[in-house]
Amino acid sequence: MASFNRSFSRRRFLGGSALAVTAGALGMPFVRTARAQAATFKAGVITSLSGENILGGNLTKQGYDLWAEAINAKGGVEVAGEKFKVDMFYGDDQSNPATGADAAERLIVQNEVDVLFGPYTSGSTIAVQPICQKYQVPMISGSAESPNVWKAKPEFNFGIIPSVDTTSGLSLGVLAKTSNPGAKTVAVISVNEPFSKETGEGFRDGVKAAGLELVAYELVPPEGDLTPVISKIAALKPDVVAVGGHEEILINVVKTSKSLNYRPKALIMHYGITNPAFAQALGADADGVTGVVVWLPTVTYKDDVFGTAKEFSEMATKKLGGEPDYTAAGCAASGLVLGDALKRLGKKPALTPEDRVALKDAIAETDIQTFYGPIKFEKDGPHYHDNVQPVPVLVQIQGGKVVAVGPKEAAAADYIYPLPAWK
Amino acid sequence: MDLFLQTLLNGLLIGGVIATFTIAFQLTFGVLHVIDFAVGGWVVLGGYLGYYVTALLGLDGFVAIPLAFVLFGALGYLIGPVLYNVRNSRTARPELMALALTFGLFTLLRGGMLTAWGFNTRNVTSMLSGESLAVGPVIVPLIRVAAAVFAVAIAGGLFLFLYRTRYGLAIRATAENRHNAALMGVNIRRLSANVYGLYAGITAMAGVLMGAIYSVNPEVGLRYTLFAFFVAVLAGLGSVGGAVVAALMLGVIEAFVSTYVGSSYSLLAIFATLFVVLLASPKGILRRGL
Repeated sequence: MASFNRSFSRRRFLGGSALAVTAGALGMPFVRTARAQAATFKAGVITSLSGENILGGNLTKQGYDLWAEAINAKGGVEVAGEKFKVDMFYGDDQSNPATGADAAERLIVQNEVDVLFGPYTSGSTIAVQPICQKYQVPMISGSAESPNVWKAKPEFNFGIIPSVDTTSGLSLGVLAKTSNPGAKTVAVISVNEPFSKETGEGFRDGVKAAGLELVAYELVPPEGDLTPVISKIAALKPDVVAVGGHEEILINVVKTSKSLNYRPKALIMHYGITNPAFAQALGADADGVTGVVVWLPTVTYKDDVFGTAKEFSEMATKKLGGEPDYTAAGCAASGLVLGDALKRLGKKPALTPEDRVALKDAIAETDIQTFYGPIKFEKDGPHYHDNVQPVPVLVQIQGGKVVAVGPKEAAAADYIYPLPAWK
Repeated sequence: MDLFLQTLLNGLLIGGVIATFTIAFQLTFGVLHVIDFAVGGWVVLGGYLGYYVTALLGLDGFVAIPLAFVLFGALGYLIGPVLYNVRNSRTARPELMALALTFGLFTLLRGGMLTAWGFNTRNVTSMLSGESLAVGPVIVPLIRVAAAVFAVAIAGGLFLFLYRTRYGLAIRATAENRHNAALMGVNIRRLSANVYGLYAGITAMAGVLMGAIYSVNPEVGLRYTLFAFFVAVLAGLGSVGGAVVAALMLGVIEAFVSTYVGSSYSLLAIFATLFVVLLASPKGILRRGL
């Protein structure tokens, strides 16, 4: 009896499954048609939503979302007199380039996105590039700053933020001109990981370009303790200490320097000091730290989606609960590039594979003014498809606030140099 | 010469810092026979407690040290029996199951902290933060001295506890031979819970200091786990005294290589040391490991 029951229920189960599968298969085409009729542009965001780069990953996601919300609030992207909304899809690279490539492939194959918005890190961006090439899907990167991203001349990838070697290199020249008496010697510390190392190399090369003297160039492992390096540099007495690294290392550099009672005349860090958490973590010790940005809410640019940089900043502050930094701004501006290219392309969704290639060509011809600044991509050279138009602005933390201090035409306050000794 | 002395001091203090979160890790291995992957998680939990005590209550970060012991010691006491059951279950390879459990605990702690407290890097401020003392040409960072003193005090306290008390005798007996200890009337299950609680509490206390010396975010835990593991292997797994010696050794090597060879070689030097010591003395530098 028991065995009869079992076989009966198994048969019923198999029969039921077959019915369900058939129904599913029959239903499939209708589902697909329904989706196609919604007629929206589909954009995939591939970035670090978990893992060690989650902070930056969220900055990028927030930036891309700001654009999607803004353009959808206006009815969508205008193509040949008709408006189409934008649907956002997300892929998590888990702070790991290989995972990023997989996630990008999923977005393209499963979600059938028309275009990708690029990862926070350069490592993931480089890993995703071959996927974009394989499926011929353009990718606009609002964050990746490594020069290596552009060296391989990625046909389908475009970058909004100037690569870090151009900005960190140029910033030392600005610092030398802004400081009084002018800084002469520089020591560079950088963390031995892709982005940080390239920032450090940018600083190192910028030293020579600015006519300064390099007294030390130290690569530290991310797990290392900073006391030996800081002690060594303190003994060399450079005017400027330049640091390539993410927030955590920047915070640790300041703490370790103070614990060794060492303060250079200027401490410049490329990334991270504009994140409010930096000044929050260090309190008064953050004051005087110099940083480099390619965008600030106080710049004078504007466009017709976000308005002025100030208006963008106010809107973003309301939504994100804190002032947006240049990464969020660069990502929001990525959307503007897409909107402009789609408009010029004049193709309605969903885009065909040929349309996507044409979209790539349209993006390459971008020449627009945005709240973020001018955007135009390089057509050749080591920064192929990168937007190297923006001029770096030197900022300093003064009284817990990030203020522009150089070059002169952008300065909102005097540059505090040399820094006073620790109290 | 000045730089040499400064480097030596830096190295010893780095060693002291590493020792803080390694000592109890060794004890756990000795008694529970578990390599606790979650050690970094306990460190980070302590760091966050330090941050919240300063940020929300406006108190000195050091106030969090006893709090961390009580709070996370209690949490460890509750988790201890679970770990004990897994480690002594009848499944095949219970030691691997226990390792997987602590790895899972670590992932849970990390993910939980990320969700609850976000990804921003936080700082613990205390009366010693950024303070230093000039002794001749050498600058002594006081917060690190505090950590080294803490490490020595914990090691000394544990030593007294293990060798001068009846309960310490029971712990040592359990570490040596669990079955015989049980036959002599030691309640192994309760003892394991106590040891794990003690370990979690001490490690979280060290975490408050780590937050004050470096900074804390949910992602830094793995680094502490790795260093605890390096030190444990170098010291000989389970050897508490060896942990202090090994930590000091790693600290001094890191400092000298960073200063005189180049920072990028410091980890290479640490791994090379580990390799050579394991070849020459597989039971660790003091030959007391398991």
